[in-house]
Amino acid sequence: MKQVGSNKETFSLKSRLKRLKRDSNRWSIFTLIIVLFLALPIIFIGVELFSGPGETWSHIVQHLLPEYIWNSLYLVVFCSVLVLLFGVSSAWLVSRFEFPFRKQLEWLLILPLAIPSYIVGYAYAGMFDYGGSLDLFFRAMNFDFIRIDIMNRAGLAFVLSISLFPYVYVSARAFFLNQANNLLEASKMLGVGERKTFFKLMLPLARPAIVAGLVLVLMEVLNDYGAASYYGVNTFTTGIFRSWFSLEEPETAVYLSALLIIIIFALILFEKWQVRKVKFTSSKTNNTHIQRKETKKSIQWVIFSVVFLPVLLGFVLPVGQLIYWAFITASTVFDLEFILISLQSFGIAIVSALITVFFALLLIYFSKWSALRFIKNIARIGVLGYAIPGAVIAIGIMIPTIALDKWLIDVLAQFGIDSGLIINGTLIALFYAYAVRFLAVAYNPIDSTALKVDNSIPDSSKVLGVGNLKTFFKIEFPLIKTGVFSAVILVFIDVMKELPLTLILKPYHIDTLAVKAFEYASDEMVMEASIPSLFIIFTAMIPVIFLNKLLIKK
Amino acid sequence: MLTIKSLSKSFDKGKNYALEDVSFDLKAGDVCAIVGESGSGKTTLVRLIAGLERPDHGSIVLEDKVIASVDKFVQPEKRKIGLVFQEYALFPHLTIFDNILYGISKMKNKKARVQEMLDLVGLSDMGKRYPHQLSGGQQQRVALARALAPKPSLLILDEPFSNLDSMLRTQLRNEVFDIIKKTGVTVLFVTHDTQDALSVADEILILQKGKVVQKDAAANLYVKPNNLYVASLFGDTVQINKNLQTAFHCPLKEDCCHAIRNEKIKVNPTTYDSDCDYITTAQVIRKVVLGDSIQLLLKLESGEQLTVMTKDANISDTIHIGFNSKDILEFNQ
Repeated sequence: MKQVGSNKETFSLKSRLKRLKRDSNRWSIFTLIIVLFLALPIIFIGVELFSGPGETWSHIVQHLLPEYIWNSLYLVVFCSVLVLLFGVSSAWLVSRFEFPFRKQLEWLLILPLAIPSYIVGYAYAGMFDYGGSLDLFFRAMNFDFIRIDIMNRAGLAFVLSISLFPYVYVSARAFFLNQANNLLEASKMLGVGERKTFFKLMLPLARPAIVAGLVLVLMEVLNDYGAASYYGVNTFTTGIFRSWFSLEEPETAVYLSALLIIIIFALILFEKWQVRKVKFTSSKTNNTHIQRKETKKSIQWVIFSVVFLPVLLGFVLPVGQLIYWAFITASTVFDLEFILISLQSFGIAIVSALITVFFALLLIYFSKWSALRFIKNIARIGVLGYAIPGAVIAIGIMIPTIALDKWLIDVLAQFGIDSGLIINGTLIALFYAYAVRFLAVAYNPIDSTALKVDNSIPDSSKVLGVGNLKTFFKIEFPLIKTGVFSAVILVFIDVMKELPLTLILKPYHIDTLAVKAFEYASDEMVMEASIPSLFIIFTAMIPVIFLNKLLIKK
Repeated sequence: MLTIKSLSKSFDKGKNYALEDVSFDLKAGDVCAIVGESGSGKTTLVRLIAGLERPDHGSIVLEDKVIASVDKFVQPEKRKIGLVFQEYALFPHLTIFDNILYGISKMKNKKARVQEMLDLVGLSDMGKRYPHQLSGGQQQRVALARALAPKPSLLILDEPFSNLDSMLRTQLRNEVFDIIKKTGVTVLFVTHDTQDALSVADEILILQKGKVVQKDAAANLYVKPNNLYVASLFGDTVQINKNLQTAFHCPLKEDCCHAIRNEKIKVNPTTYDSDCDYITTAQVIRKVVLGDSIQLLLKLESGEQLTVMTKDANISDTIHIGFNSKDILEFNQ
C-alpha cells in the first residue's frame, strides 16, 4: 500500500501553508488584534528605549540606581521571609488543627487583602509616630524610653508583608485542603510524626503553590508606590514617578520601567522553573478533606495566638487606628465633595470592571474559536499585564497617547476643529490602562469556570447546526455566569484600591478615593486619609467575604 | 454516502499519528461499528467526520460533497451530522423539550417534531424536566432524540454505552438500536466492546494504533481475521509459535503467522476422535472454577504455558490436548 499519510508529505511546508489558510478564520485575527492592543504599552516602552536615555540617566545610574536595586532587593528578601512565615504557618495550622475560632480565623486571614498596603502603611506610621497610639501606650506604661522609628526600609518591608501575606495563605491553604489528604494519611499509616510529616512531606509538596502565591506578593511589592513614597524609601516605582513628574524626563522613566520589567520576568521565570521542577502534584482534586487534629486545650490556645497574630497585625490594628481617626476627622472630611469623589470612584471601578471582563471574554472565546492551536498560546500574552507595575503601564500608555493626541489635534485643526486632548488625560486612557493591568484578574476566574464546562457541550451545539456566537449566548454564557460575576467583582476591588497608575493617568478634575487618601497623607494630613481609606476597605471587604463563601461552597 | 480517503491526523506535528492513512466507505442505511482499544483513534476519527477536528491529510466526502480536506473545511454546524457524545452533553440549564428543540429552531412544526421525538424515545411526558432529573439511560435517550430531531443524514454514536453497567447496557443497546432502525438513518457507532459491535452492526471497522486493520461483516471477522490483534478481539487466541509447533508436531509455513482460538483446543480427545490432527500432553498447573466450566492453566513439555476450558470436573493432573488443522488461523506477517 502506498503511504500517503507519511510524515514527509503531510508536514511539508506546502501542505502546512494550505492548512494554515484553511484554518485561519476571523477569530484568529481578532485574537491577534486584542493581544496586540493589550501588549501595546509594553511594546512602546521597548520601542522608546531606542530613542536613547535622558540627560539625567548617567546621574541616576551613578547615584540612584544602586539604591533602587539595593532597596528593591532588600524588600524582596525581607518580604519573602515574613510572608512565608505568616502565610504558610497559618495555612497549615488552620488546615491541620482544630482550635477555638478556627472557622472565623480561616476567612479573617484573607481580610488584610481588602486593605491596600499604602493604607496599612499610613495606619502604622500613625501608631508609631510621636504622640501616636503606641507612643501614648508606652508613655502610660512608663516606658518613655521606647521609641521605634518605622519610617524606613525595615518598616516598609513589615507593612508590605503584613498586608500581602494572604496571597501565600490562600494558595497554600487550597493545596493543604484539597490535595494533601491521602498523602497525609499515608504518612500517618507509616508511623511518621507530625513535625516530620510537615517538613519532609507537606512543605516540599506545597512548594509550587507557595511559590505561586509568593510571586504574586513580590509583584505587588515591586508595584507599590504609595507606601514606599510615604516611608521615604527609594524604589524603582518611586524613581519612575520622580523622573516623570519632578525631572520631567520621560526617557528616564522608560529606562527605569524597562529594568523593572526585566526583574519581574526573572521572577516569573523563577516561578515556572520551580513549578516545573516539582510537577508531581496531581491536578485531580481530592474529594476527601483533611481530618483536623484535636490537641490539648492549652496547645489549642497557643495555635490560636499564632494564627490570630497576622490577623491582629494585618487587619484589626490598622482598621482600629483608622476608625479612631475617622471619628476625629469625620466633621471636616465628610462633605459633598467627598460623596462626589466616592461616586466617581465607584463609577470608574464599575465601568472599568465591565470593560476588563468584556476583553477577557473576547480573548478566551475568540482564541477558542480560532482553529489554530498556536493562537491559544498567543492569547496568554494578553494576560501578562498583571505582572507589570501600574506605573510602568501608565508610562507605556502616556507616551503613545501624547503622540497620538498631537497628531489628532493637527489633523482636526486642518478641518477647523479645536479638539484639545482626546485620549490623554481623559477617562479613555484610564480605562484602557486598567484593562491592561487587570485583565488576568478577570481572565482567570472566567477561564477556570469555562474549563469546567465540558467541551462536548458547545461541540454538541455546533453539531446541531448552531454557530459560535449563538452557542456562546445560549449555552456557554448561562453556564459560566458565576465566573463572570466574580470576575467583575474582583476587578472592581482592584480598581478601587489601585494607586500609582491612577495617579499618573487620571483626568485632572477627577479623583478617586485612593487618590484622595494618598493626597491627604502626602499633605501631612494622615488622619484625614482615614475616611476615604475606610470606604475603600469596606467596599473591598464585602466581596472578599462573599467570594470566600462562594469558594468554600464549591 | 460517506467516503473517507487516506485520512491522517497528528496532534504533535507528525511525531505520532492519532490516525494514519484511514480509508473506507459507508453505504446509506448501514450500521457500521468502529472497534478498537482506547488510544486506537476511534474518537479522533468520528470527531474529524463531525468537524470537531481538522485533518492533516486526506479527505472526507459526505453525500458527494467534500466536507474536509487539506484545503477545505465545512464548519460542524453546516454538516448535518448527528452526534451522541459519550457523556451525553445535554445542556444542563435547558429542559428536555428545549434540548431537543435546540437544533431545529428553524424547522416548520418544530414543536410537533420535538413531541414526535419524545414519543419515539419513550419519554413523552418528560419534556418539562431538566437533564439532572433523569436517569442515565433516560439522558442517553434524550441525547439520541436531540441528535435525530434535525433528520441528520449520518448519526454518530461515540461510546454510547460505556458509562453504564453491564446489565443496563444490553437492555439500553437494544432499545437504542430499535429506535434507530425505525428511522433508517446511517449509523457510525464507536465502541471498545466487541459484544456491542457484534450484536448491532452490519459491518465492523477495526482500528489499531490509528490504522484500519480490517473492515468486514461481523461473521467474517471471527472466521477470517486479518491479524492476531483482530483475532484476539473476538475471543482468546494463542499464537502457534515455533515451540508450540514442536510440541504438537505440526510444522507450519515459515513466512506466515499462525494462531488457534483457545476454545478450539480440545481437552483429552479420545483416541477415536478423528477431529484432532495434532495432539500433545500437558501438566495442569492451576484449575479455576468459573461456574459450569473450568479454566485450566497448562504447562507443556517444552515449557510453554496456555489456558484451555473444560467442563470435566474430575480432570487428572496430566492430560492430552489437541486441535484440528482446519481451525488454524493463518495471517500474513
